[in-house]
This record gives sequence, structure tokens and C-alpha cells, in this order.
Amino acid sequence: MRVVIGEGSCGLAAGAGAVHARLSELFEQDNPTGAELGITGCNGMCFLEPIVDVYDDEGSLHRLVKVQAKDADKIHAENIDDYLAHGGYQAIGKVLREGMSQEDVIAEIDTAGLRGRGGAGFSTAFKWRAARDAKGDRKYLICNADEGDPGAFMDRAVIEGDPHTLIEGMLIGAYCIGAQEGIVYVRAEYPLAITRLKKAIEDATARGYLGKNILGSDFSCTLRIKAGAGAFVCGEETALIESLEGKRGMPRLKPPFPAQAGYWLKPSNINNVETYANVPWIISNGGEAFAAMGTKDSKGTKVFALTGKVVRGGLVEIPMGKTLREVIFDIGGGIRDGKEFKAVQLGGPSGGCVPASKLDTVIDYAELGATGAIMGSGGMVVMDETTCMVGMARFFLDFTAKESCGKCVHCRLGTKRMLEILDRIVSGNGEEGDIQKLEDLCYAIKDGALCGLGQTAPNPVLTTIRYFRDELEAHIDEHRCPAGECRELITYSINKDACIGCTACARQCPVQAISGERKSPHEIDPALCIKCGNCKTACRFGAVVVR
Amino acid sequence: MPKPVSSDLSLIEPALDALADTPGSLIAILQETQETYGYLPMDVMEHISERTGTPISTIVGVATFYAQFRLEPVGKHLIMLCQGTACHVNGSELISSAITDELGIEDGQTTEDGLFSLKHVACLGCCSLSPVMMVDGQTYGSLTPDKAKKVLRGLAAQESEGGASA
Amino acid sequence: MSVTYTIDGVEVVANSTDTILTSATRAGVEIPTLCFDKRTAIYGACGVCLVEVEGVPKLLRACSARPQEGYVVHTDTERVERARKTAFELLLSDHTGDCRGPCKLNCPAMTDCQKYVGEIRDGRYKDAVSTIYEAFPFPASIGRVCPHPCEDACRRQLVEEPLSIAFLKAFAADRIEADGDPYVVQCEPDTGKRVAIVGGGPAGLTAAYFLRRYGHAVTIFDKQPKLGGMLRYGIPEYRLPKAVLDREIEIITNAGVEVHTGVQLGRDIDFDDLRRDYDAVLLALGAWRSLNMRVPGEDLEGVVGGIDFLEHLGHDERPALGDRVAVCGGGNTAMDCCRTAVRLGAKEVYVVYRRTRAEMPASDVEIEEAIEEGVTFKFLTNPIEFYGEDGHVTGMKLQIMELGEPDASGRRRPVPVEGATEDVAIDNVLMAIGQGANCEGVASELLTQRGTIACDELTFRTEMDNVFAAGDVTNRGAGIAIQAIAEAQKAALCINNYLEGDEVRRHVPYFVTQEKTPEDFEDEPKQQRAKMPGLSPEERRSNFEPIYFGFSEEQAIKEASRCLECGCHDYYDCRLIRFANWFDVNPDQFAGQMHKREDKQVVDKVIMHDPDKCVLCGLCYRICDQEVGKTYLGLYNRGFSTEVNPMVPKEASAFCANCLKCVAACPTGAMKSCPSVERVTEIL
Repeated sequence: MRVVIGEGSCGLAAGAGAVHARLSELFEQDNPTGAELGITGCNGMCFLEPIVDVYDDEGSLHRLVKVQAKDADKIHAENIDDYLAHGGYQAIGKVLREGMSQEDVIAEIDTAGLRGRGGAGFSTAFKWRAARDAKGDRKYLICNADEGDPGAFMDRAVIEGDPHTLIEGMLIGAYCIGAQEGIVYVRAEYPLAITRLKKAIEDATARGYLGKNILGSDFSCTLRIKAGAGAFVCGEETALIESLEGKRGMPRLKPPFPAQAGYWLKPSNINNVETYANVPWIISNGGEAFAAMGTKDSKGTKVFALTGKVVRGGLVEIPMGKTLREVIFDIGGGIRDGKEFKAVQLGGPSGGCVPASKLDTVIDYAELGATGAIMGSGGMVVMDETTCMVGMARFFLDFTAKESCGKCVHCRLGTKRMLEILDRIVSGNGEEGDIQKLEDLCYAIKDGALCGLGQTAPNPVLTTIRYFRDELEAHIDEHRCPAGECRELITYSINKDACIGCTACARQCPVQAISGERKSPHEIDPALCIKCGNCKTACRFGAVVVR
Repeated sequence: MPKPVSSDLSLIEPALDALADTPGSLIAILQETQETYGYLPMDVMEHISERTGTPISTIVGVATFYAQFRLEPVGKHLIMLCQGTACHVNGSELISSAITDELGIEDGQTTEDGLFSLKHVACLGCCSLSPVMMVDGQTYGSLTPDKAKKVLRGLAAQESEGGASA
Repeated sequence: MSVTYTIDGVEVVANSTDTILTSATRAGVEIPTLCFDKRTAIYGACGVCLVEVEGVPKLLRACSARPQEGYVVHTDTERVERARKTAFELLLSDHTGDCRGPCKLNCPAMTDCQKYVGEIRDGRYKDAVSTIYEAFPFPASIGRVCPHPCEDACRRQLVEEPLSIAFLKAFAADRIEADGDPYVVQCEPDTGKRVAIVGGGPAGLTAAYFLRRYGHAVTIFDKQPKLGGMLRYGIPEYRLPKAVLDREIEIITNAGVEVHTGVQLGRDIDFDDLRRDYDAVLLALGAWRSLNMRVPGEDLEGVVGGIDFLEHLGHDERPALGDRVAVCGGGNTAMDCCRTAVRLGAKEVYVVYRRTRAEMPASDVEIEEAIEEGVTFKFLTNPIEFYGEDGHVTGMKLQIMELGEPDASGRRRPVPVEGATEDVAIDNVLMAIGQGANCEGVASELLTQRGTIACDELTFRTEMDNVFAAGDVTNRGAGIAIQAIAEAQKAALCINNYLEGDEVRRHVPYFVTQEKTPEDFEDEPKQQRAKMPGLSPEERRSNFEPIYFGFSEEQAIKEASRCLECGCHDYYDCRLIRFANWFDVNPDQFAGQMHKREDKQVVDKVIMHDPDKCVLCGLCYRICDQEVGKTYLGLYNRGFSTEVNPMVPKEASAFCANCLKCVAACPTGAMKSCPSVERVTEIL
């Protein structure tokens, strides 16, 4: 029997470290069945954290498909033997021992129909061939683990829980393009991922899976980690390369593409973590098996970080082709607290909000793109009736404006001006014509921005205009926030019929705006209220009303 | 532009010995510098410039580009409040207000006693525990304004106890 | 290997190193760019070189995109236009520039005052006059009589007093005249087009001057015996000597203008004939009708319109006046009337004005000089009746007024003080309360309700295709001479467009402006405004001799040196402002937070950087790094806060080559070499 503790960043945040310490103590005192204690990264069921999985021979508890991090939840994240015991490094072994040519491997990837999981969905085989065909005395294979979407943590989970899968996928990629060196660019906010990956690289090097003449072949490849330093734009491949070179992460103009002139102007291939993590499975199981899952143009599985107002938030890996409804309601358990589903945000700052009317959209690059959102890297944030969609648009613009590198005019100033317009709308100072102005800016920025960050920055605003125009108009024309979220447009009051006079709200009010006798209904003085929401959180009777 | 300081330059020598000659290692050197000094002192950056031959304009350019780097010292406890989407949806703005209310500081500021600094940071990746803040590397999830305040009060209490015994 | 493609229908052959930008430029198709420079690696920041290629979903940056065989490239699609224009508007929404000095911007004719003042300072008087002639052809006359809106806007008053711009203009013109080196109008070859101008005043003559420059044949018809209009018949000799005016008119007519004087529209010539016989007609009839006061007794003998009175003087007549003369009104015509009355021997001259001196529209100096000459100002009085004996006026009853609430113009409204009146014995009344147009002979459908000619405010075209109007006769009516001149200058341009078959439209130039405060000039040493030498009040009173002697050369140069040289040093080379006008931008729609940062010394006393003018094209630091091999400049911060950062390393000389290539590369005025250094070099 194995006892596995989920010790990803969020598991630890939820107290997994203390659980581990206590279990170790107990196991030392008494362990009659000889159960092993293991740690893993995120097992996907974040809503339950901290989690201890107890495995008997029947295996895992969940029903999700597991491709890229095959058995992550069973594998000891810091133990290469565990990885090997679960079939690890057999894919690279197959490639090298069976003498598969570069083209053989790429053809398999092509058959699988693997597309980049970072967001844009470019054909992986195409990129690999381009990098392989590029002339250069040195080539680099780069892994983009700068998971910047502020609502997604799929890549972190893979690295924390199953770093060797990533290493193996990268090795196969490096073999295909002829790279001698691989670099993983991990964002600075993921210290645990860096630690685990570092150990995994050391272990793999020690076992001969990295370094010179891997598995006795002519293929040599080393791997190193570069820690990012906090810049969302470095998720853009050319900015990432600039950052790798120790520079400001400002995107380069394409062409030339990285496949021709990337890191130190050498041919380079960049994929994200999830893309590489799919590779060993494809090689082991064959491209056709991978392609058997999914839709016509979107093959295999996709991992999503399902969060927000959903009952069961966490990481889910599903075959492409499922509908948003299935993910949110069947897997996620629907909306928390019996509220109404309003929208789901896909693709973070580059994506958009998909409304209830589009819930049956299938997960497919083109289908999702048609809604105005994008597949994205896997962020899936669910919103209910209390989420203001204008506020969401403002939130993302605030993010992109802050993260704009400042190089190109459209993004540097365009996102700033869009944010200012949204700022005035959510504060009740919107002006007639603001929606038109936003739209004009959106299209100009999409056309004019230099890199993907800028070109997609208008998407959250455009989907809000497309699906939630009425909410925008309510803010502008009536100075009203229908979701009751925009602070400057709402008032707090107490429903006298529901208030039992428990005084909980009054005790939480930081400005003493609530008055009332114990056991009789309380009242909020709107002149004093700073709309912090403490009272609403404190009230157990739903008596605090926001309008 | 930060004020001139005089830092112990020898502290960064080991990192420079290891990295100065490796092209593209500027960010790593600056990360080591911040690890060592808590921030990026101007004189250390000038020293790095001399040791690596990288123009000071380039170094400061990089230092001011990335959110991780600080050109000023921070308080003893660094509160990193997650600005991720899930945290936003689950009310991080209320947590931010609560911290401001409790400590009187806003994003990027440090309390007068130098104990706390508040920094809004990009997604910490603990979306399912949102809203989340990280203080001194420890993550606190599923926050409410009240819970956030309690965490801060706890830290402040430790400080005053420590101060009394010292 | 070369490829062939088309851009806006022009066939372009590109070689293997070409981008769309380089090959299109060679083929003569201009693509705007701020950040491209062939000495540096392609950067792609500005995003204004976007082009649309048929079959390519995204717009391409012409600076980096390689043309492919058969590409069909467009630079003029709506999508390209929007993306480019938005980029300029966004840049300008955070660009604290100061394109042109306020003197120029406040001049209705947009005369480049700062330029000619600088030329005068440098002793280049002919150049100064040529500069003025780019705007209008009356430097000596207007220099003497203009109420000079330029000086009202002059920032030197934030230090002490405005520059004496108008008199400097007259100085330069007088000087080249005295040198025997007058301005000669250069005309384009004859176009064969003919324009009739009705009215030979400042507007008509200015239009004639410009139309001749464009190469069109011009005929002026004027009802007066001599040309000059109000400059001759409305302004007394002591302010504008007729000889000066004659010389300036001669310069214009010498350019080949056919002149018919003593000809009145509707009497001697027919409007429809003109429209038929000429390719275009410009109506510049002026405003010659004194407005009545609608007061009992104004038909008495001795009560005349101020303009009519002055017109007599223009005909070299000396109308007889009694000892006591009342002038009604507070404008410059009233001042001309009262001071003329003094010169004609009136013993007591009153100016009757219903508000106070502060509200008087007349120039301060005119009021001051009138007082010096002994004119009595009766403020806060309003004539309510003129009365007389034997049909001749002998007195007037004045209503005493007080100031009430401000009216629409912002001036406090005069209201009668109940029952308070005053009787004043007088022999003559000159009414100078305003002037109206007299459009006899003009088709009535062209007239406004107030009897002026209705025309488009931008193009000065009337409802009739080939009929334009300019000057006092248009829309709102009479104004100052330079306004009439300015309208004529613009109307001439539009007539030229019309005659050349182009769309008749006029682009209103866009400028970046900023407000300055006295604090901005705290360090500027004070230097008093030059005082114009002239006759003493005693010497002035009895004759019509010119009252001013004009500046001496020394005075003029010293006065010109007071110029603060406002505006942007880089205006003529600034690509941003050129493109802004190309794309007819409206940056106000994106008004938001603007930076306000200090200028930075890039290199001590050699190069300065103004971050608020910077467009972050990166050329300065890329040139420094890639072309010069130094890395003295870099970028600081990111996003909206990004700025160019000069960092002083311990050994500055090792970094900066003082080559000023960064300054030369800057597409705006953000990088500049220090003025102090230029000055020092000049002096050495």
C-alpha cells in the first residue's frame, strides 16, 4: 500500500507539510502493513487540499484521463526510481535503442496531431521540423514554464509532481531538432517547482538520461533551469529568449522566427511544459492512440485549472472534444452556493469570457476561438451572478497594462488608455461613446501590437462587449453594477426581516457604520460605509444586501 | 533613483566568480544579489557592471523591468498578495483593503516601523485556495478580510514578544 | 533574387535584403515610421508602418516584412489607417510637446513670429521679411497697426513683459526698404486661370498676392480711388503713413495685378458677369457701414459715423469740427477718431463708453496715448439723446451706468443707474460703436441675417461654387486687419485648390501645445521691453506726423534677443508632428494620465533628454549601442512607465562618444544637444 501526500504549492499552503510530518511520526511508531509514504505534486483535486491518497492495488480514485503526467499522483515527485518503476524514460529509450530517426519521431508527433498547449495551438511537428531543418552549429530546445496566466497552474503541477516526464519529453524534442542543450524557463513565483526540477535534473544526469551519449547512443544533451524574474510577457517566445539572454524581456520582431534565429540567434525550439509532457506518452503509445482522442483538429487531452465559483476546483485533464458544460458541471460540480452560472473565463488575459449560452461549445482550438475566447494554456475560471463582467474586463486590462513591456505603442499606451476608460466605467463615470472608443482601441491594438500579449490583450474586453454589453451599458447609462460588485456603484443595507441582531456584522465593521441593539435589526449608515464587504462575509443569515 | 548606499561588496563575490563570465547570466546574478542583500543596492549594481563589463544602463534596465527585483529595501515581513484571476473572483480586493486597513500601507509600501511591506504579485498558482497571500514564503489561503488581519496580528505579536525579550 | 510586387498599385522590385519598407520607399511610396533606421537592427516598436497584404490575415510591419512575389500591398485601407492613426493618437496622448511658440499659434495668419524675431536678432533682415511674406504681404503696415495677438500670447510676459513683436516686424520691413533691397514677389508660371477680387483692402490685396504667387491672373475691383481699404481709409496717417502703405501695395501690384479703382459692385460691375467672366470670384468688400446707435437725435447735423469721418481723412480732406467732440465707443476705431479729432483742433474731446477702461476693447497703448493727448474718457456713460439747435447737434444726454452681472462674453454688463443722467455740451458726435457690411450688388442668397456674406469657415467658399469671400465682410463681421488678412490667405489657398481642380478643403494644422507658468521661467533674468521712441504728446497733438520713429538697429537686436525661443527646437525635423498632420489626429479622445518628468542630462552639458517628448522608438539607445558601440543609454522600467535612461557610469568618457548621433536619430525633439553649449560655441 502507498500513502501519497499532495505536496504541491497549494497542498503545502493548505497544510500538507504538517500532515506529512505527523504521518511520518505515526509510520515510525507503527506501520504494520509496511505502507510507503510518498509525496507528489498536485493531484488535481485542489478543492480537497490537503490530500492524502491511499492507494491499494486497485489504483487511483479518479476518472480523469491521464496522459501527460501519466501517473503523477502515484509517483514520488522527488524519486527517479519511482518514475522509472512507472515506465519512465522508456520513450526516450525506445527512440534511441530502436534507432528511430529524427523524422520518425516527428512523424509520430505529426500523426498524433499534437498542437502547442501554451495557447496559440501551433503544430508541434511543424515547429520541430523547422528547427531541425535550420542550419546552425548549435541548437537549443527551450521549455516555456513561465506560466503567466493569472488563473492557471497546470505547468506548475506537472513540474512539482512529475518533473521527469517533462525532462523526458524535452529529451525527445532535443533529439528531433538536434539540440545539444535544453533550457527550462520557470517563472520565479514557482520556487518549489524549481527545487523539484533541479533535483530531477541532477538525478537524471546521474543515471545517464542527461549528459553525454545518452543510453549509450551518439545523442548528448544537457538540461538547465533559468528562473524568470516576474514578467508575464516572457511567456511570449521571443521575449522569453531575450530574458534567457539576461536582457529585458521585450519581444523581438518576427521574422526571423526562433526556429531560424532564437537563443543567441541560434535555431531554437520553444514549447510549453504541457506540450513536452505529452511527448513520452505519444512515443510509448503511438501517435494514433493520441489522435484517437479529441476532435478533428484538436487531438489528445488538455489540462485545465478549474477555479473560481465552482464546487470542485482543481486540475482536470480531459480529452479534447468535451463540452465546457461537462467540465464545469459534471467534473467541477457546478456553481458554489447554489448560485447561477454566468460565464467562464478561458485563456486568461489573452482570452475571454464565454457566457452560459455557449456552454455547449466543445473544447477544440477552433470552436473556442469562435466564441472570442481562446483555448489558452488551461486557465478556466468560473464566474457566477455576483461577478461583474465589466470588472473582469478591467481586471485583465489592469493586468496586461501592468505587464506590458512598454516596447510597442499600441500595447504600452493602448492598454493604458483602455484601462482608464474601464476605470471610469466601473466607478460610474463612464461616458457616452466609451464602448465605441473601447472597440476602436481593441481593433487597433489587435492589428498594431508587436507580440501576442498585446495582440490578444483586447480579447477580454471584446468578449465583454460581445456578450455582456447590457452590463457595460448599465454601468455607463445608469451608474449601476448589476452584479453588485463595483464598489462605487453599490450600497450595503440590512434586510430587517432577516437580521436577528447577532451583532456579528457590527463587530466586523472597520468604520463603525453599523448600529443596532442586540437581538434587534441593525442598520448601516451609508455615509460611513466604505463597502469593504466585511459585514456580508460575517452575516450568517444573508441579511446584508448589496444593491 | 535610489539613494547612494555603501554595501559590503564582498558578499556578492562568490556569485560573481561563478557567473560573471557566463553570457546571459545577468538576471541570475541579480537574483543572487537580491537574495544576499534583500534588494538591489545601487553600488552593488555598479560593482556588477565593473566585474561583468555589462553597462550600468543595461543592468538597471533589467533590474527595473522585472517585478521580482526591488531597488529599495523591504520590510522584515513581505506580504505578497496574489492578483490572480481566481483570487480576484473570490475577493482579493477585499483582502487588499483589509491589509491596508490593518497596516496603513498600500501596494508597494512599507510600514513606518519597517516590519511589513505589501506587494501585489502575479498569480501564485494556488488558485483553488483563493484568495491567497504569501508572507515570508508561507502561503495563506481561503482568506477572508478577518483571517488576513489575524495572520498579520499574529506576526506583529511575535515581533513585540521578540522585542520584549531582546 | 528579386521579387516583384505592387503597393497601392505601384509596381515595386525588391531585392533579397529588402523589406516592404525599404523597397516601397525606393519606389516613392512613403510608409511612415518612427523607429526604423537602417543602421540598427529592426525593432518594430512604433507600429505605424503597418500595411495590409491581400490574402494575409494580419497587418504586417513594413519595416520587417519581406515582400513576396506577387504581393498586393495596400497602405490606404481603413484598417491600416485606423491602426496607424491610433498609434499616433496614443503617442500624442502622452506627449508633452510644445510644437510652436504661442506667438505663432495666436496669430490669425500663423505668422512665424519666432522665426523672424530670431532672424532679426541675427541681423538677417531680408530673411525676416521673407518669413513674414510667407504669411502675408504687409510687414511694415501691420507691424505698425496690429493689436498684436502674438504679443498677448508671448511667454516673455511670464518673466516681465511680452516681446515687442509687431514693432520688430515693422523694423525689419523698414530696414530693407531703407537698404533699397525690397521684397520681390516670386510667382509660379501662369496657370491661365483668372480670379476677380472685389475689394482692394487688406483681405483683397493679401488674396491677390497669394493668388499671383500660385500663378493665377488677378483683377482687383475697388470702389475707392486708391487701394488699401481700411488700412488707408480707416487708419490715420499718424499711425500708418500712407507712403509706407503705398510701398507695400506697390510690391503686390508689381507682381502683375490688374487694378480697377473707383468701381463699385452692383453699380459699375455686375456680380453675375464676374462669376461668368472669371474662373473664381473673391468678395472682400470689407465693413464700411458705421452702425447706428438708435438714439434720438442721431440724424442731427454734426453726428457722423466714425468710419465715415476717418474716410474723409483718407481722401486727404480735413473735415471741420467744432471745439467739443464726443466719440462714442471703446474700440480702436473710437481711439482713431478721438485722436484725429484732437489733431483737427478740437479743444475738448470726450470718449463716451458705457463700461470701464478695463472692459475697453481698444489696445491699452492707444488708450494711454489718447489720454496723453488730452482726450477725456467718460466711462460708465451711455448717450440716450442728442439734441441741437437749428438742426445741428449742441449737446447730449448721458445715462450714468454701473456694472452688473457678467454677460455672455464674460464682461460685466453695464446697467443704467436709475435717474442719473448728465448733460454735456458738444458740437460733434462720432459714432464708433461698430461696423457693418454693405453688400449691395451681391446675390441676396449669399447673405447672412446680419448682412454679411455666408461662407464656410474653413474654406471660405460660399454657396456658389466659384465664389469665395474673405475679410470683414464674412460671417461674423468686422475684426482686426490681421484677421481679414488671415482669412484671405486661407481663402487664396482654397481658391487655388479649386482652380487646380482639387477638392476644396483646408487642413487645420495640428500642434501639440502646453501651458507655461511664471514658475517655469524663474531662472530667466529680467530684461525690460524696448520702448518705442516717438513724438511727445505735445508734439503729436497738432499734426498727423507719424508718432513713432521705429526701433534703432541696436534696440531691435536687443529686443529680439529677449525671445525665449518657445516651441520645439526640432519642429521642422519632427516626424511625429508631420505624421500627426498626415493622419489628421484627434488625441484628445484618449486623454488620460500624462507623464510629467524632469529633463535628464544625458551627458553633462552636452546632451539632454526630455522623457515627456520621447516616443520610445529606442533609436537613441540602439544607435548608441549598435552604431557607436557604446551603451550609455538604456531603458528604465516597463509598460507605461518605460523611459530612456541615461546612466552615468564611473568613467563616463569610456561610454559616451559625444557623437550626438542619438540626437540626430531622435524622430522627435526628445533628445537635444544642450543649448548652452551651442551658445558658447557661437560666441567663441
